[in-house]
Amino acid sequence: MSSATSGVIELDPRSPRARLMNLFDGGEFTTITPEDDRGVLAAVGRANGTNVVAFCTDPTVQGGAMGNDGCRAIITAYDRALADSSPVIGIWHSGGARLREGVLSLDGVGRVFAAMTRASGKVPQISVVVGPAAGGAAYGPALTDIVIMAPAGRIFVTGPEVVRSVTGEDVNMETLGGAEPHGRRSGVVHITTDSEQEALDRARGLASLLGHQGSLDIDSIADVDLGALMPESARRAYDVHPIVEAFVDEDTFVELHERWAPNIVVGLGRLGGRTTGIVANNPMRLGGCLDSSSAEKAARFVRMCDAFAVPLVVLVDVPGYLPGLGQEWEGVVRRGAKLLHAFAECVVPRVTVVTRKSYGGAYVAMNSSSLGATRVFAWPDAEVAVMGSVAAIRILHRRRLAEVPDDARAQVELELAAEHEVISGGVARAVEIGVVDEVVDPKVTRRAVARVLLDTPGVRGQHGNIPL
Amino acid sequence: MAQTIRAEMVASVHSIIMAKGDSVVVGDTLVILESMKMEIPVLAEQDGTISEISVAVGDVVREGDIIAIIM
Repeated sequence: MSSATSGVIELDPRSPRARLMNLFDGGEFTTITPEDDRGVLAAVGRANGTNVVAFCTDPTVQGGAMGNDGCRAIITAYDRALADSSPVIGIWHSGGARLREGVLSLDGVGRVFAAMTRASGKVPQISVVVGPAAGGAAYGPALTDIVIMAPAGRIFVTGPEVVRSVTGEDVNMETLGGAEPHGRRSGVVHITTDSEQEALDRARGLASLLGHQGSLDIDSIADVDLGALMPESARRAYDVHPIVEAFVDEDTFVELHERWAPNIVVGLGRLGGRTTGIVANNPMRLGGCLDSSSAEKAARFVRMCDAFAVPLVVLVDVPGYLPGLGQEWEGVVRRGAKLLHAFAECVVPRVTVVTRKSYGGAYVAMNSSSLGATRVFAWPDAEVAVMGSVAAIRILHRRRLAEVPDDARAQVELELAAEHEVISGGVARAVEIGVVDEVVDPKVTRRAVARVLLDTPGVRGQHGNIPL
Repeated sequence: MAQTIRAEMVASVHSIIMAKGDSVVVGDTLVILESMKMEIPVLAEQDGTISEISVAVGDVVREGDIIAIIM
């Protein structure tokens, strides 16, 4: 369609060219595949100054369905990203495989999945879902490192009509695969946004965080009293976000999976200018307990950072694993094991800061010294133990406590707990046996952590980033 | 639209901060629960007026139990 007044071609806002213009710096890019009716356009350009490769499906042709030629265009984009060591951004609005091409299109879609898997862990892959992404087009984004969903984005394997005919469930596309189910319940989507442009801008920001990680300038790090952000009472739960945001450079934190498994916070930011991954327990949700979803969320994030040479900072305040039948049956043992595996195999510098407490099995999982932490710091009042001291002495001294009269029991418990803390709980004991390397003042924690990251040569994990 | 605030996990009710009829904004503490040896505030997730506080101090709530309703 052309504009009569200006003579300039007016683009359909859903066309790949329009969307790629909204993605790349200055709206400028160079196409690397033919611009025709194959259903996909791929291009190279810059995002926040970082070279990136991007491709976009074309909903103006057969609803964006993926045929063999379109799939080859995506593979061309991946080959180029690997050759350039550039992040690759996929913009998705597609009904899945092209029906009229039959199995040929399925073969193409499968080759796209294989190309994504070959690139996994080698170049950062970011997906932006701007419209429905169904069937094969759902698994494309799902295989990538980070999935961003715009308001009109929908991801599902089978659409509402099939669901209705098979299961009788009457749902629309939004309920089935919109921002609410995928942002909060399924964990399929890492970031949801209020507009399509914001979704593209978030992809630009992440491509630059992962593709242009910068070097750490320790002199730029200002001291912040992180302890002042904690509640006065050691028993009071609090939201960890202000502490995470104060830990990284101002206004640099990008949270992933914000609403899914919110009892752990993961995201990327910069520390002294260098891209750094943060993992933090969030006591405000589920008391900060680890559970099956949060362990899985953190494990995937840790492995992504490891694959892309992003150092990790782990802020620990964890009371343990969430008890309950539901958790055991959901596979907290199997899914929790992913976090143990992820940290234990991780080769990027990874520093732990125990801010308040670290108990039991969750202590081990949160990048403990035993799993190979580069360095473990603890704040002066932190407690590192198998469990809280009162709970511990109730088990250790069960018989003796049973003999104590009811009215005197609380006092005896307190005395035993104080005694127990001296031999096993306090931070002094943790330092003595070497599971905490150093007690650090909350005021200088940023600098202390940055020093370790600066002094530890960066390597990267030689593995893919399977979407755990 | 009414919003129902539910317990995320098993806990006992430590204290009640707001009462029926109080107006609240997002982030206000309604009730404090105790679980895993911690006091965990339950916050308002929308602005409005409290039409019901469904728990009393000392109650044990399970995951999914209603704590309060905001209109």
